[in-house]
Amino acid sequence: MAYTTFNRQINDQMKEPMFFGNPVNVSRYDQQKYGIFEKLIEKQLSFFWRPEEVDVSKDRIDYQNLPEHEKHIFISNLKYQTLLDSVQGRSPNVAFLPIVSLPELETWIETWAFSETIHSRSYTHIVRNISAEPHKVFDDIMLNEKILQRAEDVTRYYDALIDGINLYQRCGEGTHTINGETETISLYELKRRLYLCVMSVNVLEAIRFYVSFACSFAFAERELMEGNAKIIRLIARDEALHLTGTQHMLNIMAAGDDDPQMAQIAKECEEEAYAIFRKAAEQEKDWAEFLFKDGSMIGLNKDILCQYVEYITNSRMQAIGLKAIFPTTQNPIPWINTWLVSDNVQVAPQEAEISSYLVGQIDNEVDGADFGDFDL
Amino acid sequence: MPSVKISGGAVIDFDGSRRTLLDALEQQKLDVNFHCREGYCGACRCKLLQGEVRYLNEPLAFVRKGEFLPCCSIPLTDIDIEIP
Repeated sequence: MAYTTFNRQINDQMKEPMFFGNPVNVSRYDQQKYGIFEKLIEKQLSFFWRPEEVDVSKDRIDYQNLPEHEKHIFISNLKYQTLLDSVQGRSPNVAFLPIVSLPELETWIETWAFSETIHSRSYTHIVRNISAEPHKVFDDIMLNEKILQRAEDVTRYYDALIDGINLYQRCGEGTHTINGETETISLYELKRRLYLCVMSVNVLEAIRFYVSFACSFAFAERELMEGNAKIIRLIARDEALHLTGTQHMLNIMAAGDDDPQMAQIAKECEEEAYAIFRKAAEQEKDWAEFLFKDGSMIGLNKDILCQYVEYITNSRMQAIGLKAIFPTTQNPIPWINTWLVSDNVQVAPQEAEISSYLVGQIDNEVDGADFGDFDL
Repeated sequence: MPSVKISGGAVIDFDGSRRTLLDALEQQKLDVNFHCREGYCGACRCKLLQGEVRYLNEPLAFVRKGEFLPCCSIPLTDIDIEIP
């Protein structure tokens, strides 16, 4: 099952599973097994934005006037988000593209990862603006214990999948001795790693970003760091779409029509899925504690943020058919929702219309009635 | 004018003065989670116990059988819903 960039096997793509079928040959969208991924691509493209479009110059003054403990909150969140998007900008491509079998899903994965690279570039845009020494901020990411702990859990499932794919595509199923080390791989085990990986990515996009989002919007509620909040808003809009993408993948896998083995794996991995959610929620609560170690910010403290983590974890779990694990049922920071509404996203001051418009979209429908009141 | 029964209790009329079911629920001061309000995030997912809704724009979010998104739908018939 070696990977090939253009599979010569003539196949019916409509009969391929999402993953581990034939590698994709022709990128065609005239027929689609799962039209939803094409719709997600279109939506993502309509969301296109560039960090440079957002003026963050006022943030520099705001940042300089922040008390030290609030500077810590702001900059730590940026570092953490930089880590998350560093991973997300490359990993979906590296992990999923060698095993994907549907053209619309393949293109969705590429579109998804590309938009994460825009997020990464926007962090540099923000940091350059608020700091005269941006290198210090980025250098610290690789030294910060609190961030590195999270990196471990964010990347573990990706790395296990990628490692397994490499072995499988080179040597096939079975036990292999490579460089003196014996490793066993089966397609079933790979599918298990894939399921857990998608689950962990789903958790990353569903929960891990939201502590940072809440802090960014809490600053902006006080009319501070508003340029940053505008960018975070655009990022949050993209992330909501990516989350929908992984939720669709998980639900298609669990339903079993696509690949009956995946349904069985989804059942077998249920305990582990709960554990991934629980651990991520605990880590994010720890992160909240780290953020507020020197003091809270107006409108937000450790307890409120932890309640929000619980609330959002519950809602994300229910979306993929799991049961809520926390007693919290109320959103402790309802004001965050208005920051997450897509229509309110405004990228430029002169732009009054909604920003999700499709550039160059023309109405080509013309009929006789359009000339009804036309006189020469 | 279709009516909307919420969690077996309060009943409101969808009189068309609000664009979507979510708007109508909020007007009644009912707490519904929401993010995008465009059907792609799925945060407002509610249970549809009885009746039918029509989507103003087809939702991109995953919607399970027996669920619906109030942010981009209107009732077609009298409906019975549950807000999580």
